[in-house]
Amino acid sequence: MNYAFTYKMYFKANLLYQRLNLLFRRCHSERRDNPSFDPIKFIQGNTEISTNHMTPEIKLHLITPRCALWDSGADQCPVSDPFWAFYWPGGQVLTRYILDNGSVVKDKSVLDVGSGCGASAIAAAMRGARRVLANDIDPVAAAAMKMNAKLNSVNLETSTDNLIGQGLHQWDVVFLGDMFYDEEFASTVSDWLKTLKQSNSSCEILIGDPGRFSFEEHPAKSLLCKVAEYELDEVCRRENNGLTLGGVWAYDPTRTMK
Amino acid sequence: MWPIFDYGRFVSIISSSDVYGVVWMRSLAQLHKMANLRVLVGVKRVIDYAVKIRVKPDNSGVVTDGVKHSMNPFCEIAMEEAVRLKEKKLAKEIIAVSCGPAQAQETIRTALAMGADRGIHVEVTGKSIDGDNNQTGQMTAALLDWPQATFASEVTKENDHLKVVREIDGGLETVKVTLPAVITADLRLNEPRYATLPNIMKAKKKKIAKHKAADFGVDLTPTLEVVGVEDPPVRQAGQKVESTEELVAKLKDSGVV
Repeated sequence: MNYAFTYKMYFKANLLYQRLNLLFRRCHSERRDNPSFDPIKFIQGNTEISTNHMTPEIKLHLITPRCALWDSGADQCPVSDPFWAFYWPGGQVLTRYILDNGSVVKDKSVLDVGSGCGASAIAAAMRGARRVLANDIDPVAAAAMKMNAKLNSVNLETSTDNLIGQGLHQWDVVFLGDMFYDEEFASTVSDWLKTLKQSNSSCEILIGDPGRFSFEEHPAKSLLCKVAEYELDEVCRRENNGLTLGGVWAYDPTRTMK
Repeated sequence: MWPIFDYGRFVSIISSSDVYGVVWMRSLAQLHKMANLRVLVGVKRVIDYAVKIRVKPDNSGVVTDGVKHSMNPFCEIAMEEAVRLKEKKLAKEIIAVSCGPAQAQETIRTALAMGADRGIHVEVTGKSIDGDNNQTGQMTAALLDWPQATFASEVTKENDHLKVVREIDGGLETVKVTLPAVITADLRLNEPRYATLPNIMKAKKKKIAKHKAADFGVDLTPTLEVVGVEDPPVRQAGQKVESTEELVAKLKDSGVV
């Protein structure tokens, strides 16, 4: 065996292990719980304005490879789980679909659940929705959504209430961008969808998902039909190991659960 | 049910400074759906390769308490290959499995962050170091009666089988194995990725199923007893000679020639 090669590999591997050893330690949310924590300053200081994604028409504050937090483990990140700082692939394909098919939102009232960075909501506003509510339980996400809306010169209402499980009669369209990332959550969301559909039959539900395992294997998927499919771009693939193709799905009332 | 190995017991008598762990990766194919491979990747929590191994004073084993542990580097490589198969759309699902103590879950989380879809943790107490035995993949294949391709440096899917290039002493050997098969990774198979924050965050949500060896009706009574562990002998200094004649004379003197 070539020992020089082995040594080089071990050296690189060492860097890898050092990084991996930083993973999954308890995250310090101290700064976030601290009353003087300013989400706007935090977002401005730790993200950059990016159009390097599948919807370059929309500018977003995101953590990119040039930002310090890109390389951090959960340990060094001062806020817990900044989902809003990344443009999830399910959200990207959904937003792309909205931008390419504006008629699904024009003059309608739209709710974006689990909005994160707010991209899908912003796209709906750009395409002439009558009213848009971007919903995310994370207050830092709410701040990010407002900043992103301002960047793109649109008006968005935001809410941090947990709207999943609530009946929502006033919405014409509901977006779920990449909400099926864990099995338990996937079940909660699909139960909610069924009741929502039963109570308000004219409500359109659109789901963006990059083929996550907990979505693909979920029985509720048999109630959906695919309306669009997009190949994920390179940046997306890097942030989401193993995923390559995103689909946009609509709730189809004619289908039954298998 | 597939068998569990208490490979913590298979410790070599002399520990060497070359950490040549074994990695194993298994692929199952759903019948007639060769494009949808399900890949099982074994990942093991071992003493970090960079740590200097110390033998315990009573020669019963090596020191593991308080010593830094990480995923076996070859398991990293196996995991990376599995994720690449998924990215090429050849694999549908990647499952990371680890037999070990509670801390093995950290190792599984790392695998999830690299791209596995879910994890399985079989709780096995007792020593958990890498014995450098190069047995697990081979024994697994034998017990399952599956073909094996070990020391893989390249894996390509061709129709209904895998073409694997193996690193052997004389160079490279190419073999074809039908599916399902067991593959073990060699250093040159790939360079593993490290998990970035977005992947780490998402990995937290992935499921890890927990089991005990008893759940599978496996008896962990050891059939191998470690009699002793020693440091390798200190290398003797060599001698320099001025000419070939002197070399031959010295060899004759020492009775080697």
